[in-house]
Amino acid sequence: MFRIAIEMLLYDKTKYIGLLIGVAFTAFLVTFAMGYFAGFMTRGFALVSENPSAKVWVMDPSVSSAEATINMSDSALDIVRGVKGVNYAAPMYLGNMTARYANGDFQTFQAIGVDDATLSGAPKPANLLRIPESAIVDSGGTEGKLQTPIYKKDMWSYDGSHLNAPTRKLRYGDTMLINSKRVVVAGVSHTIPRFPPRPLLYTTASNFKRLVPGEKRYITFIMVRPTKNITPNKLAKRIAKQTGLKAITSDEFKKETVLWYMINSEDVGDMVNMVILAMLVGFGVTGVMLYMFTYENIKQYAVLKAMGASTKQLSDMIFTQVFISAIIGSGIGVGIAAILAHMVSSATFPFRMMWFAPLIGFLGVIIVSMTAAFISLRPIKKMEPGIVFKL
Amino acid sequence: MSKIISTCRDIVKNFNSGEAEVKALQGITLDVYENELLMLVGPSGCGKTTFVSVLSGLLSFDSGVCKLMGEDISTMSDERLTAFRGKNIGFVFQAFNLLPSLSAIENVALPLTVEKRKRVETLTLSKEMLEAVGLDGKENVKPSGLSGGEQQRVAIARALVHNPKFIICDEPTSSLDHKSGQIVMELLTEIIKEKGASMIVVTHDNRIYKYADRIVHMEDGRIVKVAS
Repeated sequence: MFRIAIEMLLYDKTKYIGLLIGVAFTAFLVTFAMGYFAGFMTRGFALVSENPSAKVWVMDPSVSSAEATINMSDSALDIVRGVKGVNYAAPMYLGNMTARYANGDFQTFQAIGVDDATLSGAPKPANLLRIPESAIVDSGGTEGKLQTPIYKKDMWSYDGSHLNAPTRKLRYGDTMLINSKRVVVAGVSHTIPRFPPRPLLYTTASNFKRLVPGEKRYITFIMVRPTKNITPNKLAKRIAKQTGLKAITSDEFKKETVLWYMINSEDVGDMVNMVILAMLVGFGVTGVMLYMFTYENIKQYAVLKAMGASTKQLSDMIFTQVFISAIIGSGIGVGIAAILAHMVSSATFPFRMMWFAPLIGFLGVIIVSMTAAFISLRPIKKMEPGIVFKL
Repeated sequence: MSKIISTCRDIVKNFNSGEAEVKALQGITLDVYENELLMLVGPSGCGKTTFVSVLSGLLSFDSGVCKLMGEDISTMSDERLTAFRGKNIGFVFQAFNLLPSLSAIENVALPLTVEKRKRVETLTLSKEMLEAVGLDGKENVKPSGLSGGEQQRVAIARALVHNPKFIICDEPTSSLDHKSGQIVMELLTEIIKEKGASMIVVTHDNRIYKYADRIVHMEDGRIVKVAS
């Protein structure tokens, strides 16, 4: 009976290909949407990802993401360094700074202040930050935000702003003003783009304090590397217990950040809604197509029933057809998603094919297909095999 | 007197209800004997096909008693009735109802496949049956590659391959030209006599009446005349 089911499935090539396209489209849609979502979330915890040597992150107990933060006092660094099992601990300052460009235009940056001594957390070549009053700038996933005038006549002009002056990208040696203090661009980095996209400005902790003076608390995070004899998880628990601060491993921090975005970010909420809508549309299309396929063959099933095929045999045939379509279709869909993922990833799209994306795409299609098969069984069970006498 | 293979008493079947009710069968009583070729004739809509659907357990009925080979089909569960039908009844349809995706031999083999017989046995019996209906060499041809007469012969082979005791043919010659119709009827009668089965043929085609042992005339859901 399985062979008959397969031959029935493959007989009408047009229908079969249509069915495969429907299933593949759904699998592709689900997989791609998941990859897109994962890509955005990966950008959401870019700060954690670009500091792989920091196995434990320490922060104020109220902080639950890399996005919304409140600072700790400078003494927290010494306290953390005093915990047994800490190999090294480096501070990270985070804040927003608005810079004035040479033509009078302005741009808000996320400023990241790193430890003066180790420059931990700074992008390569970090050593450039040793230049006095310097900063490394980064587009952070934005386009056209790091601009300065091409001509000297448009720079720091006495006759006011030259906002319409032709511009070029910032480069080594350009200057900006932050809080009326001079900042020299020591380099332009290309770190992981952010979600939401924003220009980044890396500088030393001392320069950070120079640019934004008078704050009582500067340290946003303390990045910790454990000694060899302790796991990050154990060390995090020990730091939290001994300091009263929040200490979590980098993996936990990434998860918490994703969760925070899902709960707090309206953009992510809209994105998730769109993904769910796309999935429902895809699932609807697949379900209807599979149902129609069975329904159109109902007379053939009636013939088989007239010849003694039990409802179970007919059900097995339908499940065989649906399962084969689902496996092949979702394989094609996931394959196309993988190829496209490779293409869009290299084109700096926010896309990341994580292990669960194809799995969810695959399982989603299988579940929908099986549900459609169950629904398709209804007309099979309800049919009067007497329809075989109808022309 | 031959043994009765099927007996129906006061069979009533209505479709729909209320004002739209159609009284398809209004108390049909009929016996079919072993080795008999019975023809059911009458105008369109008189209830011929409804009656054979009821008789073969393909359609439920409202009242009456219908027994096939001594078994009351109205009391059987759907699963048992399906299995019983598969084993004991063969069908030949007006539209042939061959599965277009299967070859001639695979179509013939369907009743045996459904019964889960061994593949070698299934293929051997199906091939023999195709030879018996004169389609030797056409085993692997799909229905779309066969003429109407050939398709009907495949359908006949399919109806007989599992040696059923009862054959139901619904307008077996109406889709065929006269010559093909005569060939099909001769083939059917010959094989039926050889296998010792009973057969009901629903037909409008008076040119094949000559093959019947008895002719039952129906009108408005009733039997109005039985002729030998």
